Amino acid sequence: MISDCFLSWGSFLLNTNLVIILSSFSQPGAAVSTSNDTYWMHQAPSLQVHHPVPPQNNYQSPLETKPLYETPFQGHQRATYPQEMNSQSSFHQAPLGYRQPTQTAPLVDSQRVSKVQIPTNPRIASNLPSGFTKMDKDSTAASAAQAPAYVSVSMPKPKDHTTAMSDPGTFPKSLRGFVERAFARCKDDKEKESCEVALRKIVKKAKEDNTLYTRDWDTEPLSTVTTTNVTNSESSSAQLSSLQNKSPTRRPKSRWEPLVEGKPFVKPASTFSSAVKFGVWNHQNENNKKSSESFQKVDAATGFKPTYSGQNSAKKSFQRPVKRQRFSGGAATAIDDEASSDSDKDLTPYYSSAMALAGSAEEKKRRDSRSKRFEKIQGHSRGNDLTKPKNANVGNLHSRRATALRLSKVFDESGSRAVEDIDWDALTVKGTCQEIEKRYLRLTSAPDPATVRPEDVLEKALIMVQDSQKNYLFKCDQLKSIRQDLTVQRIHNHLTAKVYETHARLALEAGDLPEYNQCLSQLKTLYAEGIEGCSLEFAAYSLLYITLHSNNNRELLSSMSRLSEEDKKDEAVRHALSVRAAVTSGNYVMFFRLYKTAPNMNSCLMDLYVEKMRYKAVNFMSRSCRPTIPVSYIVQVLGFTGAASEGTDEKETDGMEDCLEWLKTHGANIITDSNGDMLLDTKATSTSLFMPEPEDAVAHGDRNLDVNDFFTRT
Amino acid sequence: MAYVSMGEAHRRITEYLNRFCDAVSYQDSSTLCRLLSFSSNSPPLLSLADALNVFQDSSSLIRQSDRFSEYGEILAHVFRSLQSYRVGNLVEAYLAFEKFANAFVQEFRNWESAWALEALYVVCYEIRVLAEKADNDLTSNGKSPEKLKAAGSLLMKVFGVLAGKGPKRVGALYVTCQLFKTYFKLGTVNLCRSVIRSIETARIFDFEEFPRRDKVTYMYYTGRLEVFNENFPAADTKLSYALQNCNPKRERNIRMILKYLVPVKLSLGIIPKDELLRNYNLHEYTKIVQALRKGDLRLLRHALQEHEDRFLRSGVYLVLEKLELQVYQRLMKKIYINQKLSDPARAHQLKLEGIAKALRWLDMDMDLDEVECIMTILIYKNLVKGYLAHKSKVVVLSKQDPFPKLNGKPVSS
Repeated sequence: MISDCFLSWGSFLLNTNLVIILSSFSQPGAAVSTSNDTYWMHQAPSLQVHHPVPPQNNYQSPLETKPLYETPFQGHQRATYPQEMNSQSSFHQAPLGYRQPTQTAPLVDSQRVSKVQIPTNPRIASNLPSGFTKMDKDSTAASAAQAPAYVSVSMPKPKDHTTAMSDPGTFPKSLRGFVERAFARCKDDKEKESCEVALRKIVKKAKEDNTLYTRDWDTEPLSTVTTTNVTNSESSSAQLSSLQNKSPTRRPKSRWEPLVEGKPFVKPASTFSSAVKFGVWNHQNENNKKSSESFQKVDAATGFKPTYSGQNSAKKSFQRPVKRQRFSGGAATAIDDEASSDSDKDLTPYYSSAMALAGSAEEKKRRDSRSKRFEKIQGHSRGNDLTKPKNANVGNLHSRRATALRLSKVFDESGSRAVEDIDWDALTVKGTCQEIEKRYLRLTSAPDPATVRPEDVLEKALIMVQDSQKNYLFKCDQLKSIRQDLTVQRIHNHLTAKVYETHARLALEAGDLPEYNQCLSQLKTLYAEGIEGCSLEFAAYSLLYITLHSNNNRELLSSMSRLSEEDKKDEAVRHALSVRAAVTSGNYVMFFRLYKTAPNMNSCLMDLYVEKMRYKAVNFMSRSCRPTIPVSYIVQVLGFTGAASEGTDEKETDGMEDCLEWLKTHGANIITDSNGDMLLDTKATSTSLFMPEPEDAVAHGDRNLDVNDFFTRT
Repeated sequence: MAYVSMGEAHRRITEYLNRFCDAVSYQDSSTLCRLLSFSSNSPPLLSLADALNVFQDSSSLIRQSDRFSEYGEILAHVFRSLQSYRVGNLVEAYLAFEKFANAFVQEFRNWESAWALEALYVVCYEIRVLAEKADNDLTSNGKSPEKLKAAGSLLMKVFGVLAGKGPKRVGALYVTCQLFKTYFKLGTVNLCRSVIRSIETARIFDFEEFPRRDKVTYMYYTGRLEVFNENFPAADTKLSYALQNCNPKRERNIRMILKYLVPVKLSLGIIPKDELLRNYNLHEYTKIVQALRKGDLRLLRHALQEHEDRFLRSGVYLVLEKLELQVYQRLMKKIYINQKLSDPARAHQLKLEGIAKALRWLDMDMDLDEVECIMTILIYKNLVKGYLAHKSKVVVLSKQDPFPKLNGKPVSS
């Protein structure tokens, strides 16, 4: 039952003008006046929430109810999002979808909605009702008296698609033809709108006369439509056209987004899946966020820019989305209350007629009291409407979200422009997020200022990471999010350099070379811009990196020639240059001495070459020396003892064991002499030495892309 | 700029148009070259540029006659480029010239024979030089230089036109050389590889059939690439080819080749005569050659340090640095000869201590571990024959040819 109600309502979303006009007359109490649109708009949720009332209450004639039952999935798709999205999203989605037509329908691109077609997926739909139980308690407000409001909603003009979508059994085919013909005669939006009103009247009259099925619609003169209409709709259409001008619905062409006018909903599937991803991510942090997040995205991508108020002044239509959306992420129950209280304040002129419909003072009182329950939330969000993010309550998710959504909506608008036209200065985000910790999530849309941290917070975040005792994966994640925030805010200063330096050092420590390289290339540009930093330290790193890893002579030459005499005096750079000399000449003794005296993180980069150097050295020794070499010598020369542990006997034996283990795995031949000393049999070793396959090798060559590693990250 | 009257300007422009069209219709390549060679700064071209700056509406002159308008697009770009070139706006001049070059290449593609090859060479040369100049302008204005890169891709397009079968293939090597110059300048030498492949793997055209001038340039650049790869025997053959075939009167070119050939030869154990270094002004190598002869490690290091910048820029630094092992070898040999004189019976046993002492005389302070390390490397690389007795810290030399000469073979790795 619950689901039925919802589904029937959902079908409304997509059923187009024709069906709505026609079906509207199934409501005996329907008020046809356009002024009810507003009212309806706010009541839509409560009506929808109305499931305890059997649908039959709303739809008296079985004939009318039937189509609404049968078509649900078509309309439903718009409201059905990924499975884990609960009632909040679907619930919220619905009114948006509804409201949208109220605004666009008679005015502009009527094809947009009418062509909406989504593949049916009943599986998803079946999940929805469960979410609705939440709203049950609020649904009481919705009474039969409100039901008619729904009727007056105008939908975009139907074209051929309409017929395909609506159940053919509902109205006589001839009537549909009549309506279509009437619309076809309309030259512009204004005419269409008045035509629509006129059609309603005609159909209503026919219904009352019980001639709906008897009358010959094929021969019905269209003049009846055109003559009755004009006076009726003059005033409202004037209002509407003013709104239309300012409406953000019309998007400039962009190559990046599918054009809605042509074939809307071409991409719903992909959008949905991205919404799923989003949802999953946010789910980990804040449950509340996800629905609105994904919703917002879907909205943007499908081109359904919700332009809300139908009859409000244009100005209000710009303000309202914010208020509406503010609660989209919050408790679902808040929506209808907020909506009604909003209308109390902002929309009194339009609301009055609706009030009359809603009828009683009692109803109003009830609504007032309900809205008061949410004053707290409202307070937060109101405060947030001032673009002073710092005043925002840090802990209040809803309010932060609100600003975010409003701004991201602004971005959606501008994002639909072609990339080259974008004014990046205007788009540069100013973060408002006050939280120090933030997980990294690769941006797939315009950044949301509420989740972006301003510079002072980022500074704290950096200190947090530096002091953190947690593992590298955590730090890497945090630093990446800091980097992202810096990037979207286009911060290029000492802090940026510091963040990249910190990350590069940590990456080196953890042996995460891809990340290190990313940081290094950023640092190079930062240093080139003249930003102070530890440029020499990193010059040393890059020298070492080229020497030890890329093994590219030309690159090495050019980076060496870039060093000035002054640079070469720096300890780290000098050390790096000596390491290079040791490596090119194969001087292993020098290499391991430098390894022990390495400044900064130079030893981390050398670490990665130690294995190769040892192999080379043992190879040299076994070919050149006869007959034996004591293992203890190898231990000493090839740095098997840690620099710090030198001198203590205990560690010495540790080094011995390490060395023996290493020699064995590399196929060396070890013998023991009469004194019990371990010796390397060089002649035997010279032929048996081999480089073992690295244990952590992966087929694709990048250990960091290991599946297990991926799981530990996520 | 001398004053040019309207009539005079009109005359000059018409004359140029006539000459251009004549050159094309009579397939007179050399005239065409002269008409397009901006960088020659020839008086007729300069006066034409002045005329163009006076007589702004040159396109109407082109349109005037069917004869001119057939090449209207080409000519309009040439005029615009020349105009900008004259007033020193090199970036604009480059852009117009690039458009002209595109149009010209298109036209060239349609010409059956390769008569205009010389003119195409001029276009290729001019576009590279113009791009370099434009990039200089851009860098001095703080903008990113990108014109040479664009010229590179245009040259690649020209290469595509020529690289196929037929008479035009002769020109492919010239364009290849221009591409080399571009890529070396840009530091993107890895892009050379695809061009080299299509030159060297093509069976349809014998390399010797290319013009000698281009062959020398080609060998010079590919030889340099081999130096980067430390493939010394290959570098030797290529650079030697260039040296043998280049014009002996062009000392500058010879010096350029020797700059790479000397280090390559040194790595192969072939030491040049002092006169050669003197005659071709290669002083930077004098000390290095001396160090090799004497086994003076200190001298080698000094010489490397002294000319470090130069060697780094030309790309031979690492090559020269590797000569160190040969210097060690020479030093060992000297110690060995010395010892043979004083103690012939134990001449083939060199104490590490003694080697360390010798190094100390050269101000190279090394302990025994390090000396041992260097000895193992020398033995491993077959610069010294023998073995190292670790326990007694003695290098035991082979009695036969303990210090084998490289004789044109590279040091084994």
